[in-house]
Amino acid sequence: MKLSIENVGKCYRGGLWALRRFSLELKPGVLGLLGPNGAGKTTLMSILATITRASEGRVTWNGADLASDPNSLREVLGYLPQDFGVYPNLSAQEFLEYLAAIKGLDANAAKRRIDQLLNVVNLADVRGRPLGGFSGGMKQRVGIAQALLNDPQLLIVDEPTAGLDPEERVRFRNLLSELSGERVVILSTHIVSDVEATATDIALIANGTLVAHAAPEELLRKVDGRVWEWVIPSADLNAVKQCYHVSSTARRSDGVHIRVLTQDPPTGAKPAAPTLEDAYLDSLAVHRAGRAA
Amino acid sequence: MKRGRVLWALVKADFLTRVRRTSFLVTLGFAVFLGYQTFAGHIVMQLDDYRGVYNSAWVGALMGIVASSFLTLVGFYIVKGSILRDETTRVGQILAATPMSKSFYTVARFLGNFAVLAAMTLVMAIAALCMQLFRAEDRTLHLWSLLSPLLLYALPAMAFVAALAILFETLPVLRGGVGNIIWFFLWCALLVIGVRPAVSHGSPLTRADYFHDFTGLPSMFTQMRDTLVTVDPHFHNNFSLSIGIKPPRHRFLWTGIRWDDAQLASRLLWFGYALAAALLASLFFHRFDPARERLTRRPKETAERTPVLELAAARELARSDPWAARLTPLEPRTATNRFFSLVAAELRIMLQGHGWWWYAVAGGLFIACVAAPLKASSGGIILAAWIWPILVWSQMGTRESRYNTGSLIFSAPNALERQLPATWLAGVLITLATGGGLAIRLLIARDLHGLAGFAVAVCFIPTLALALGTLTGSSKFFEALYTAWWYTGAAHHLRGGDFTGVVAASSTPLVYLVLTIALLAAAFTRRRTQLAYA
Repeated sequence: MKLSIENVGKCYRGGLWALRRFSLELKPGVLGLLGPNGAGKTTLMSILATITRASEGRVTWNGADLASDPNSLREVLGYLPQDFGVYPNLSAQEFLEYLAAIKGLDANAAKRRIDQLLNVVNLADVRGRPLGGFSGGMKQRVGIAQALLNDPQLLIVDEPTAGLDPEERVRFRNLLSELSGERVVILSTHIVSDVEATATDIALIANGTLVAHAAPEELLRKVDGRVWEWVIPSADLNAVKQCYHVSSTARRSDGVHIRVLTQDPPTGAKPAAPTLEDAYLDSLAVHRAGRAA
Repeated sequence: MKRGRVLWALVKADFLTRVRRTSFLVTLGFAVFLGYQTFAGHIVMQLDDYRGVYNSAWVGALMGIVASSFLTLVGFYIVKGSILRDETTRVGQILAATPMSKSFYTVARFLGNFAVLAAMTLVMAIAALCMQLFRAEDRTLHLWSLLSPLLLYALPAMAFVAALAILFETLPVLRGGVGNIIWFFLWCALLVIGVRPAVSHGSPLTRADYFHDFTGLPSMFTQMRDTLVTVDPHFHNNFSLSIGIKPPRHRFLWTGIRWDDAQLASRLLWFGYALAAALLASLFFHRFDPARERLTRRPKETAERTPVLELAAARELARSDPWAARLTPLEPRTATNRFFSLVAAELRIMLQGHGWWWYAVAGGLFIACVAAPLKASSGGIILAAWIWPILVWSQMGTRESRYNTGSLIFSAPNALERQLPATWLAGVLITLATGGGLAIRLLIARDLHGLAGFAVAVCFIPTLALALGTLTGSSKFFEALYTAWWYTGAAHHLRGGDFTGVVAASSTPLVYLVLTIALLAAAFTRRRTQLAYA
C-alpha cells in the first residue's frame, strides 16, 4: 500500500501556482498535513482525491498512475472534502445509502456498514431526520461516515474537525488513530493539536511547497533547547514581540507568560518542553526567512 | 444621502457579481443573438403584407417590441435567483445582521435585476443602430425615434419583470420550479391582455387600454395602422411579429411614435408597478431566517442532542470504547458494480419530497391514459401526464452543483460510466411510468408508428433535462424551455415541435431520436469535463 506524489504542481487560471514541485511518499499511518491558510493543502487533497488534475508531475497508487487509471484509487478512496453539501430532503440513512450505491457497494453490506457508521458518528438516533435540519457539526459527522463507507485504504480528510464539539472532536481523533494501522490516512488541517493527537508523520506545507516531512519526534527535536518560558509585564509585550519569535502568550496575575523560540535565551527565561506548535511555527519562520533571503 | 450610498453599494456589488460571471456573457450573447436575428430579417414585424422602411422609427420600434416581448420572457429566468444566491453564498446572513430594512433589500435586489436587463436592452440599442446603418434603406439617424421605443417600451417592461422576479423569489410557492412554469403562462397572459383590444377590434385605444399594455405593442400598432390606412385603405388589421417567416412584399414609410401624455404616463406607470411589486416582495421576504427556510420534508421526531462532555471525560470515553472496533471490515469484493442499485437510489432521490397527492395525480393520469379513448389519451391526457413530473426531470444533472455534492460523487469510481447513466435511466423510467398508460392504449390499438414516437419521447424528455441540467447546472433552463416547448409545440401539435410523437400529423420521431442522441452526447461530454479524470 503506497501513495507516491512525484513533483506535483497545480497552476490555476491566471498563472497562479497553488502547488509546485511537491513530492512525498506515503505508507500506512496518519500523515498530518499542516500549513497556514492558502498553503496549498486543499489543492493537494483535491489532486489526491482525483477531483482535479495536477498540472505537472504524477501521483501513483500502488504503482498505478492516477492520470491513466484513476479508478484504481477511487475504488479504495474515502474522501471528506473541506466544503461539501448534502441533499436537504434526504435523511442521513438515505444519503449514505445513495453514496454507497454510487461507490458500488453491495446493498446488504452497505446497510450493515451504514448502521455501524451511524453509531460510530453518534447519529443513530437522528438517522431518519432530513439533513436540511442538521447542524453544521452533524453534517460534518455525516461527511465522516460517508468517507468510511467503503472501508477505504486511502482516507483523505480535509479539515475534518471543523464544526465538531469537543467530545466529537476527541472521538474522531481516536477513530483516525484506530483506523490508521492498515491504511494510509491523510489529515489536512491547520489545527496543530489535531495532528499532535493522531499523526505518525507530519508534512509541513507553505506557499505550495513542502517545507518539512518528518516524524513528530524529529520535528520536536529540531526545536529542543530553543523554547523558553518567560514572564514579562504586559506593557513590555509589544517590545518583546519585536525582538523575539513569540509562539504563545497567556495573561496571569503576575504578568504575561510567553513562550519564545530562540537560540539565545533572554534573561530570566526558563527552558520549556517544546510542543508541536512550537516546531510548526519555527519551521514556518525558517521557511519564510529563507524565501525573504 | 447615506441610504442612497448604501443602495448604490448594494446594486453595484450585485451587478458586478453577475457581470463577472461567465453566465453574463451568455446572457449578453442571447441579447446579441436576438438583435442579430432581427437585424438579419429573421424576426419580422408586419401589417398585412407590409413592413416599414428601415428608418430610425421602424428599426427602433422593431427592436423595442422584440425586447419588450421576447427579452422579457427570457430575462425573467436570467435574473431570478439573486436572493437565492445571497442565501447559498451566506452573504444574506451578513446583510440580515445589518440595520437594512426588508423593503430596502428587495428594492436593491430589484434594481440589481433591472441593471442586468438594462444591459441587455443596451445591446439591443446597439443592434438597432447597426441595423439601420447596414440595412441602408434610410441612413438618416433620428436618435429619439430610434431609442425611444427601447427606453419607453422595453425598459419599463424590463423593470416590471425585474421586480416580479424578486416577488416570485420571496413567495415560497413560486421561488422554485413552479414559479418558472407559472411565469411562462403569466407572460403569455401579459402579452394577450395588452394586445387583444387593439388588434382584434381595430378600434382606437382608450386611455384605460394604455395602462394594461405591458409591451407597448398596441399603442405602437395603432399608430402604424393609422399611417398604413392612408397608403392602403383596404388594410385588414392583421399584425404579426414572427420568427422565420417569408418577408412581406410591400413597404411603407412610417415616421415614428407620437408620444402623448397618456402614453408617457402609462409607460412610466410600469416603473411604479415594478416598485410596488418590489415593495410587496418585502412583505414575504424572510430576511434569511434559517427557521423560515422551507424543507419539503419535515422531521418526524426531534431527538435530543447528546450532552457535550468535558474534554477529559470524552477522552476517557473514547479510550474505553474504541470506535473502530465497532466497524466490520468490508470484504474486498464487496464493492461491486451494482448499477441497478444505483438506478434505484437515483429514483428515490428524484422522487423524494413529493406528497401523496403528487403520486395520486400521476396515478390518476396513468389510469386516464388507459381508460380514455385513444384520441383523448394521445391529446390532452398525455400532455398533462408529461408536464406533471417537470420538477422531477428538471433536477436531473443539477443536484451536484446545486447542493455542492460534486466532490463526494465525482471522487467515486466510474462516476461517468455509472452515475450519469443511472440518472438518465431513472428519468426514462419516470417518463415511462407517467405516460405508460398511453403505451398500453397504443399497443391495444396496434399503432406501431405511435409506439415508436412514444418510445422516442420517453427518451427525449429526460435527455433534454439531463443535458440542460449538466450544461447549465440549473434547473430553470429546462423548466423554461420545456414549458414553452410543451405549450407551443406539443399542445398545439406543431409539426416538428410536437415531441410526444403520438399524433401522426405532427410526429417526427426520427428528428427527435437524432436530437436525443445529440443531447445525450452533450450531457456526457459536459460531465466528462466536470470530472478531472473521466
